Amino acid sequence: MVLEIGLPPLAAASLPDHPSDDQLVDGCKRGNLRAFEHLYEIHASRMKSIAFHMLGSQADAEDAVQETFLKVYRSVGSFEGQSALGTWIYRILLNTCYDQGRKRQRLKEAGPPPEVASRSDVPLRITLERAIERLNERHRTVFLLFEVEGLKHSEIASILEVPEGTSRTWLFEAKRELKRTLMESRS
Amino acid sequence: MKFECGDLDRALAVPELMQEAREHLKECAACRRELRLWNDISSAAKELHHEWESPELWPRIREQLAAQPRPKPSRWKDWKLMAIAASIFVGAALFVWLNWLRPPVQQTAGNRTFLTEQALRDVEHNEAAYRESIDRLYTLAEPKLKNSQSPLVVSYREKLILLDSAIDDVSSNLRQNRFNTSLQAQLASLYREKRETLEDLVKHDQKN
Repeated sequence: MVLEIGLPPLAAASLPDHPSDDQLVDGCKRGNLRAFEHLYEIHASRMKSIAFHMLGSQADAEDAVQETFLKVYRSVGSFEGQSALGTWIYRILLNTCYDQGRKRQRLKEAGPPPEVASRSDVPLRITLERAIERLNERHRTVFLLFEVEGLKHSEIASILEVPEGTSRTWLFEAKRELKRTLMESRS
Repeated sequence: MKFECGDLDRALAVPELMQEAREHLKECAACRRELRLWNDISSAAKELHHEWESPELWPRIREQLAAQPRPKPSRWKDWKLMAIAASIFVGAALFVWLNWLRPPVQQTAGNRTFLTEQALRDVEHNEAAYRESIDRLYTLAEPKLKNSQSPLVVSYREKLILLDSAIDDVSSNLRQNRFNTSLQAQLASLYREKRETLEDLVKHDQKN
């Protein structure tokens, strides 16, 4: 008999190789750490990238992902499946990033928004990254989720709990703002 | 509508305007640059997905999760189930009490006033039988009532006329409300009075 030392009784309970959303939810609700590991394998890469763009550093992004998993662990008991598990996790991540971003904002002195590089030989990717930082919170979020992370408008709408049309409108407004900023920086 | 440089943003939002925008773009280098930038934003954004190795992250998360107490199951579902079960229990108890355990309801003035259809049929049947017995008594008393001028018979006659008038009034009211037990009781009382009057008259006649 193999004894799992140092883990709660259900920490190493069995889980299928490719568990369904329901099986993952069930596993998480029972405190099965394999279920959480599966969630991490599926979502961590995208979660880190989103958090990185929201917070600006890899260390802060990793902290946000860790905080998100802790919140998921604590509140999965009340998850009733009104949305997909992934959608719910991204919603928690975004809220965590907003909270951390606000805390950081309060700590550092209010300064001017970052300058967008104006040299024509700077790759668009760099100038775009700076321009994204100047977007307002909801425009930045929708742009990151759709254009950078490749989520669908239906998924974004579910994460942000807004109508799909609102997600489309915010994306258009974000791109128009970025275009204006980039044109100004190039002129 | 003449398409102008400022209309490009609107055309990007409304695909129907793109045909006109294309005509304008053939001649306007500034708008072509703007459109190219618009498309480049989406292409460049794809490269912004930021990926890096974090071999320490999952072990860190796992360690933190393992130190947590087990996730608490939601009590909300339990509460919902308990509320449903309690509603069913209360409903069933109420049903049993109303149908089997409830003490007989004391008759109030309100529900004594009205008869059921079956009770009414019984009352009307008895009433018809009563009327027939009264009619037979009247047949016996009729010669005396019509021919005698004695003060006693005259007073009997006047009493019977008053009783018949009262019976007509109550019967008329009863036709408006056949289920009114109070009127039925009044009518029965009047018939009883008429029968006793006729019996007295017949007895008095037999004595003489």
